[in-house]
Amino acid sequence: MLIQARQSEPSVDLKRVYDAVIVGSGAAGGMAAYVLTSHGMNVLLLEAGKKLNIESELKSMEWPYEHPRRGDMPPGYHGLSSREYAIRQPPYAAESPYKFVGSYVQTWGGNDYSKNIVVNEKDHPYTGTPYAWVRARCLGGKTNIWGRLALRLSDFDFKARSHDGYGDDWPISYADVAPYYDKVDRLLGISGQKENLPHLPDSLFQSPIKLNYAEVKLRHALAKMERVLTPYRAGVTTDGVNNKYRQRCYRRGACNRRPGGCDIHAAFDSPTGLIYPARDTGHLTLRTHSIAREVTVDADTGRASGVAFIDAVTGQIYEAKARVVILAASTLESARLMLLSKSSQYPNGIGNSSGHVGHNFCEHVMGPNVTGFCKELAGKPRSLDDGRPGGFYVPRFRNLADRHPDFLRGYGFEGDSGTTMFPDNANSAPGFGAEFKKRVRQEAGAFISMGGFGEVLARYENYVDVDPDVKDRWGIPVLRFHYRFSDNEKKMAADMAAAAGEMMEAAGIEVVDSDRKVLTEGWSIHELGTARMGADPKASVLNQFQRSHDVPNLLVVDGSSHVSASCQNPTWTIMALAWRSCDHLADEMKRGNV
Amino acid sequence: MKRTRRDALKMAASAPLAAAQAKRVPLPKVVFAHAPKFFTPAEFALVDELTEMIIPTDAHSPGARAAKVAAYIDTWLADVWEPEPRQIWRDGLRLIDNLCDSRYNVSFIEATPKTRIELLESISPDDDEPKTMEGEFFVELKKQTVHAYYTSDIGIHRDMEYKGNTYLDAFVGYDPK
Repeated sequence: MLIQARQSEPSVDLKRVYDAVIVGSGAAGGMAAYVLTSHGMNVLLLEAGKKLNIESELKSMEWPYEHPRRGDMPPGYHGLSSREYAIRQPPYAAESPYKFVGSYVQTWGGNDYSKNIVVNEKDHPYTGTPYAWVRARCLGGKTNIWGRLALRLSDFDFKARSHDGYGDDWPISYADVAPYYDKVDRLLGISGQKENLPHLPDSLFQSPIKLNYAEVKLRHALAKMERVLTPYRAGVTTDGVNNKYRQRCYRRGACNRRPGGCDIHAAFDSPTGLIYPARDTGHLTLRTHSIAREVTVDADTGRASGVAFIDAVTGQIYEAKARVVILAASTLESARLMLLSKSSQYPNGIGNSSGHVGHNFCEHVMGPNVTGFCKELAGKPRSLDDGRPGGFYVPRFRNLADRHPDFLRGYGFEGDSGTTMFPDNANSAPGFGAEFKKRVRQEAGAFISMGGFGEVLARYENYVDVDPDVKDRWGIPVLRFHYRFSDNEKKMAADMAAAAGEMMEAAGIEVVDSDRKVLTEGWSIHELGTARMGADPKASVLNQFQRSHDVPNLLVVDGSSHVSASCQNPTWTIMALAWRSCDHLADEMKRGNV
Repeated sequence: MKRTRRDALKMAASAPLAAAQAKRVPLPKVVFAHAPKFFTPAEFALVDELTEMIIPTDAHSPGARAAKVAAYIDTWLADVWEPEPRQIWRDGLRLIDNLCDSRYNVSFIEATPKTRIELLESISPDDDEPKTMEGEFFVELKKQTVHAYYTSDIGIHRDMEYKGNTYLDAFVGYDPK
């Protein structure tokens, strides 16, 4: 792959001025490339990592016993444990004797299939407060292994301040974004079931994932409590989409058994869903192994002139020139790049006259997880429950019509139940011998579990800045975290465990495990907010079209633009907003306004 | 008496190995298809026996021995990068043999099935927080046996009768009446 990449890249013409240069090829960068090339713009897409032959990485159908280590990484490869995050400060891998150190995702079963997708933490240190930062450096970024839960935000989120008085409203409402959610649904495919909830708007769904027995039972019990359990809303095409690089879902279930990934691309990933179609327009130029170092500035006009980047293989520095610079490197990497882009015009970093770049950093708090035992399923003949990209979702129910005394905002649950390839109860069933073996077999399909994802309040005091002393493998100063959960998150997490237990009991499902521990900050991989949108240039970084208030030809189209975290998983919103902003940008450029 | 980790270590170290060996009758010749890379032949025979005791063959399906769990653990330990797992297994196996010898005056592999079960039951902790060195080894033994067995061809297909990882036209689910 390296040789291939090296051969192809000298052909990238860096003397040319592109219409746009995009930094990052994940959900946001892929969408920006797709939309801008569809408008006929000539786009250069820079990806810091490599282009993988992803099908041979993922091998979705390989059985554990066909792999020499049953899917585990080779000796000398290590994934960071929850304990390592809990007892240590970053950089977590600085002194590590291992050859490769991955984030906690690399402790999951099947981690050998994702080891080339995620970064080696040894090359990519960061400092400050504890944070489980999960990064992927390759074409498509984290979309190659994402969790697939594809949810919309509502005006409970976009207008959260108007609802409860905390924080800030977004400069847009649901009506502004809804048409773009629709476009994303149609282009990429989403599976789900209509529920008509004002706080979790429906998508244009393809065939839903079917619930199994325990989930139907819990759904019925929740209906009596005026709560909802709905099939996992998966960013997966179950009926097919018009895209020659992707197939529909064949219910193989590999994406849900492993850190993620789908080698037939039924689950959305940025390369097959967005970048290859963009390339087919003839307007896209891709350069991998290109680590953005700085947004360059025209000293006369103060406009962005392009991106200086380091070739990851040769270490050489280049500059790509463009009429517009679009950052889509991820919430934290885009903030880092803006803070690193200091010049006489922008001494605090480009687009940072407000001082808000890196601040208002938010995400989802998680950890509390409850497991129930559905006794009537024990000893039943084997069913097939894991041929699906996810189990179920319980949307937020707190602080909608009522007001919880302990905390603001809300949380939702992701859950799963039924038989799986590996019987997890074998790790908890007591004893040994024939009785143990029989019990594992008989009870394996009878468990149901759910874990919460709660909104972390956006607070100015939670932020990242650039560490003046520590550099990454390429000599680029790293991020320093100043980020802690507040009382609101801790009280919300306590309520998650209690509420999940109460719901299971209401359904007549015995609670057998209730884990109340809050996981290290960052665990959700839903970091947001570090370059938020807003109407006021003094208190926000971007306008409602994700354009810098300070620099008219600079956009930041990833999760850093989000004003609050909501409790819904952000990928679908990231793509809807990027589409909206890039449509607007193309119009403005045609009119000569950018 | 509540034994500490230190006591257990001391006990393991001071056990009269030579005496134990002198009492040992010649083992029945078992030919393993797997030539151990980490374990000694005696250790391998012990691991093979212990793993089969954790997950035995029953009327429903073959057990850990048929699933070649000991060979999988041996290969893992031969290649593993960290020194700790190798030490844990080497010490743990010796601990089991020494415990058996001190309590029953016989090595584990030569003990009767009833004695072996009695010994394993005595070290199997009540919860997942073992308080003894042998309890810790039991947890490790069971964990690795479970991992290797339920990821094996026999574990997945014959014991669990897993029906997935296949192309299906429609989701299988539950349709309430």
